[in-house]
Amino acid sequence: MTSRRHFLIGLAAASLAPVRGWASAGAPDYLAAALFPDGTYQLAGLEASGEIVFSLPLPARGHAAAAHPHRAQAVAFARRPGTFAVVIDCVTGARTAQLDAPAGRHFFGHGVFSPDGARLYTTENDFEAGEGVIGVWNTDDFARVGEFRSGGIGPHDMRLMPDGKTLVVANGGIETHPETGRTKLNLPTMQPRLSYLTLTGTVQEQVTLPRALRKNSIRHLAVRRDGLVGFAMQWQGDKTQHPPLLGLHKRGAAPRLLTAPVAEQSTLQGYAGSIAFDARGETVAITCPRGNALHRFDVETGALTGAFGLEDVCGLGPGPEGYVFTTGTGIVGALTGKTRVSARPDCQWDNHLIPIRPSA
Amino acid sequence: MRPLVLAVALTLPFASHAQDRGPILTDTVTAHILPGYSRLSEATGLLTETAQRDCDPGSPDLRAAYNTAFDNWISVSHLRFGPSEVDDRAFALAFWPDTKGFTPKALSSMIAAKDTAVESPAEFSETSIAGRGFFALELMLFEPAFATQGDMPYRCALVRAITADIDRNASAIGSDWDTYAKALTQPGETSPYRSGDEALQELYKALMTGLEFTGDTRLGRPLGTFDRPRPKRAEARRSARSLRHVELSLIALRDLAARLSADHPDIADDLDRAFGKAIDRAQSLDDPSLSGVADPQARFRIEALQQSINDIRAIASTELGPTLGISAGFNSLDGD
Repeated sequence: MTSRRHFLIGLAAASLAPVRGWASAGAPDYLAAALFPDGTYQLAGLEASGEIVFSLPLPARGHAAAAHPHRAQAVAFARRPGTFAVVIDCVTGARTAQLDAPAGRHFFGHGVFSPDGARLYTTENDFEAGEGVIGVWNTDDFARVGEFRSGGIGPHDMRLMPDGKTLVVANGGIETHPETGRTKLNLPTMQPRLSYLTLTGTVQEQVTLPRALRKNSIRHLAVRRDGLVGFAMQWQGDKTQHPPLLGLHKRGAAPRLLTAPVAEQSTLQGYAGSIAFDARGETVAITCPRGNALHRFDVETGALTGAFGLEDVCGLGPGPEGYVFTTGTGIVGALTGKTRVSARPDCQWDNHLIPIRPSA
Repeated sequence: MRPLVLAVALTLPFASHAQDRGPILTDTVTAHILPGYSRLSEATGLLTETAQRDCDPGSPDLRAAYNTAFDNWISVSHLRFGPSEVDDRAFALAFWPDTKGFTPKALSSMIAAKDTAVESPAEFSETSIAGRGFFALELMLFEPAFATQGDMPYRCALVRAITADIDRNASAIGSDWDTYAKALTQPGETSPYRSGDEALQELYKALMTGLEFTGDTRLGRPLGTFDRPRPKRAEARRSARSLRHVELSLIALRDLAARLSADHPDIADDLDRAFGKAIDRAQSLDDPSLSGVADPQARFRIEALQQSINDIRAIASTELGPTLGISAGFNSLDGD
């Protein structure tokens, strides 16, 4: 309990947001979607210990969620190419609103609230144009109030920068169209970008990787308190190559790419699913469900400090110490010096573990 | 460097029983892959020679050589790994789907600028990937808008440059396979595949992505939605090859599936029956360019063909996949 209280104090100090709203929902530390043993897809509120504080039904397989900064309210996104997202009151379990993507758009599965909670931003596909869009929604009634270009194709994860005024978007670069399922339509010309946008859509900075890594799709993000952005990638090129899957970027500087030695890197099948910094921001880690591995690196030196074998690991977030992770086999675990199973509810955890409060 | 903390603990999947994958790997390489590429480079060689003799877009000889070479490409187009991916060779052979119309744009700008890259194979290979390969050639031979752009000698030079580039890429893939064959059949330290299982999984992935591409993209793109069918998005519709591509790819994938399931006769039977049904449906359609997607009656039969491909995918993933040690993890299969 000590460590948990310490964790909460630390988080409260790191955030201006009062936690009263979320306290009324049992004060979960994270949100995560899962397939439950009864065959239903649900959104769960989790404690760092792995205890499920609440679980609420979802209409379809989930992907990620966004937690309102004050209210005990979550927006759960379906797996792409979903055309709706549901707003859930995490105290009562009621579905209070539904977001329907406008005609010609679908969601990619991620979104963030503005710092004051008045707006929600969602990553979307303008699939006829083959361009990425950020949808803007009013959170009083969840009406759509506008949209702007995401700065690239296939925007996936998106985070708010610590300044509260900038969005960082992982434009994965891959064009898809709902009529052709999940087929990637533009691999020979794809150009992933890490894009920094104002809350009204002005592009402030575009970051691309060297030409040889053009097929390394930037998909998931983590942001450290000082604005250091971590990005996780999924390689779409020749499978016999094993490029880095983790990058770090500081505004205005060139990105740094971190990799394990080739013997470990080659087991990852070019695929990272989630990324997080630990609570202190000293290390950064990626989960690799295809390689059944979690790789942890020292942020300062960029060196690999741990490679852990974990079957179907994907969800990852900062823990009271180190990290908390979830797996498709049902585990909620903690990684401090070593990995440890905290709880094993009988459900298959989906890709992401979303901290309720701003990240480390 | 500092020692790794390597904790292989928490429920790693059981290593699948070490099985001898050698015979299936050797058979697939020698009887499926190598002959396919050898037929392709033979046909692209003939295409280039024909274009040298006669570059008139209406030339029956040139069109026949185009069709034969394209047939042979479609029959190996599911083998998207190793040599086909070096320098984006496969994309340079077949830039499709072209969702943003890059191919006509690239050709128009070459013609408008009278780009001299057509005179040098090396320079031409550096031009836009969208302006090369079979789909660029199709536009030059079959699209009326390109029969009048620029002057005849330049168009002729462009057709010759495209065919020579196709042949160069096809031959490069073919000759790389002479050495890559060993990497696939003799996995280990010096191969990109550490084990027979990994090598076999590459071939399984080729089967699955080939089925996905044919069902979701070759058929899914023109199908669009019932309210908004997209006949003009059919693959190679100008040369009336759309349905043929579906049929040829299914025939090639059936052959691959049979070899990969050789150790499991029951699964091989299920797969073969499912492929038989899909190929029958394709062959009974009389709609070479899939324009029937816009007609409710004809559309129904194209949707049924697409469904029969989805049925093959379901059998392959539930029956064949597990025999090859394919991880069926909740997240590892998600791809998001």
